[in-house]
Amino acid sequence: MSDLSINLLGLKLVNPILTCSGTCGYGKEYADFLDFSRLGAFVTKSITREERPGNEPARIVETRAGMLNAIGLANVGLDRFLAEKIPMIRQMPCPVIVNVAGHSTEDYVETCAAMDGIDCIAAVELNVSCPNVSDGLTFGTHPGRLAELTKQVKNVLPHKPLIVKLSPNVDDITLTARATIDGGADAISMINTFTAMSIDIYKKRPRLANATGGLSGPAIKPIALHLISRVYRAVAAAAGVPIIGMGGVQTWQDAVEFFLAGSSAVAVGTALFVDPATPNKIADGLAQYLTQMKIEKIADLIGALEMPKDPVSTAPYP
Amino acid sequence: MNAPGRGQFTTTVAANIPLCREHYRLVLSLPRFAPTRPGQFVQIECHAEIPDPGDGEPWQRDTWPRARGAELREPIAMLRRPFSLAGRRDLPGGVELDIIHREVGLGSRWLAALKPGDPVGILGPLGNAFALPAPTHTAVLVGGGVGIPPMIYLASQLAHRPAVALAGALCRDLLSLTITSEPPRGSCAPARIAEEFSAFGIPAILATDDGSCGFGGYVTAALEAYLDNHAPANVTIYTCGPEAMMKRVAEIAVARGVDCQVAVERAMACGLGTCQSCCIRVKKSDPAQPPLIGQDWCYRLACTDGPIFPAKQLLW
Repeated sequence: MSDLSINLLGLKLVNPILTCSGTCGYGKEYADFLDFSRLGAFVTKSITREERPGNEPARIVETRAGMLNAIGLANVGLDRFLAEKIPMIRQMPCPVIVNVAGHSTEDYVETCAAMDGIDCIAAVELNVSCPNVSDGLTFGTHPGRLAELTKQVKNVLPHKPLIVKLSPNVDDITLTARATIDGGADAISMINTFTAMSIDIYKKRPRLANATGGLSGPAIKPIALHLISRVYRAVAAAAGVPIIGMGGVQTWQDAVEFFLAGSSAVAVGTALFVDPATPNKIADGLAQYLTQMKIEKIADLIGALEMPKDPVSTAPYP
Repeated sequence: MNAPGRGQFTTTVAANIPLCREHYRLVLSLPRFAPTRPGQFVQIECHAEIPDPGDGEPWQRDTWPRARGAELREPIAMLRRPFSLAGRRDLPGGVELDIIHREVGLGSRWLAALKPGDPVGILGPLGNAFALPAPTHTAVLVGGGVGIPPMIYLASQLAHRPAVALAGALCRDLLSLTITSEPPRGSCAPARIAEEFSAFGIPAILATDDGSCGFGGYVTAALEAYLDNHAPANVTIYTCGPEAMMKRVAEIAVARGVDCQVAVERAMACGLGTCQSCCIRVKKSDPAQPPLIGQDWCYRLACTDGPIFPAKQLLW
């Protein structure tokens, strides 16, 4: 049996499959359906300093091979998170990464600072790219502001690895990737959803109350692969910063593509809504693939994509 | 043997019977299922199990790999669809669940084509349930269109108790009930005319918007006429149907000071409280309790806080 365990950011994970923030609540919700002890790490829904009710419904609409969501970062806020959710997180049998969102640098800094001293939190992921709140994208699309925010947050997080989640809604994603690394990010997660729209042709109105939402699901997988490959080759590999890849992953074959493109770990999001056990199934498929291909460990797959202009590998085909 | 908890199950289609235009009763059978109560729902995977695209033959360096199909799947209803249970039977060989569905889109078209023996993935049971009426109360079940199914399940739990069912549809051929004798035109007197309810000793009032069966007009108008003319002193109203209809039923109940439980419907992704998409606005019982945003109202989730809410709490 192949060894799927990886070391990510100094954390020992049983396998390289994570969940995506916002698709799995705070942990308890999937307890009947997903074996958390066979999950690499769990990523919480975004936490903001203040409680947020979220957007008006309709908040989701299904599209071809995907869905749009405009939840609006509905969450319980920092105080209730600490009081109500941390005891739950403490019971989780896998490492837990807390996702933090905010409106201002002060928001991010205060929320992240509160996470630094909590032992059951393995790492913090910054959501700088939520497309569904009025000012959510401003940090994520401006390299200068993103570098500064990352730096400030890193200052208050001396004990936790910091992951920054990149927005695909930019001209050149290598610029924002570089900015997060310059700011001191320990890892990059990519990609968040694409700003998108669906229209009701009879009402002549957007189907979402928020007008636009974030597109996720299999529809975005090919774009996610391209962006990850680009960031891996242009920035992350040289800097030694791991990428947590995500965007439309549904099957173990999808996950293999993400590793080849340069991801060190792969996260499952929208697919959880269809089958909450997806991460377990991907881990099983991945183990078989490694055995069949005679690959010893996941690390040998990361970025192993051969591009047309690369020198041809001399490794024998299994 | 302990009853199993909720989970994901592959069921087998026992029957998929056309009831009327566009409506079917799907009977799903599985060896065991957690206990359920009327009002609860299941999330149905409305597509065949996605075949493993397979790893095919290894990539030869001098040939293009074949398209494996993973990127080329037909359009499918990706997300599960929530369906309230229309009934449940615990048989010696296992459990049968009744789902009444109407063909309206991609997912329900797949359901409509199901044949006995086909596998169907379900996730559940989910959500809260109707609270049964006090012994002295008459249950008034008000179902409209695809809101009728949970009323049938509820009726099965009200056998030999005072109850009456009101069922409405656009026209007679969209009324998904077995009508055993034609109600007099315009009638809003309960009678044993719908098999699904009379099987449990419950009389029914049928309403069609176009007057092609029973009471002519909205089922809400039939409800008002029934409450004015026939209703006993203490009633509890249960309702499920199109939102405009449920809002009107809730209004009628609140105006008359009658208890009313509403089964709401919302677009939903997970059904488990994670995606936060199926929210509905409700009055807070205690403004001092969190969430403090909005003060006197807050969002609740149809999937885990509901789908059943007291009418007087709903702000929609």
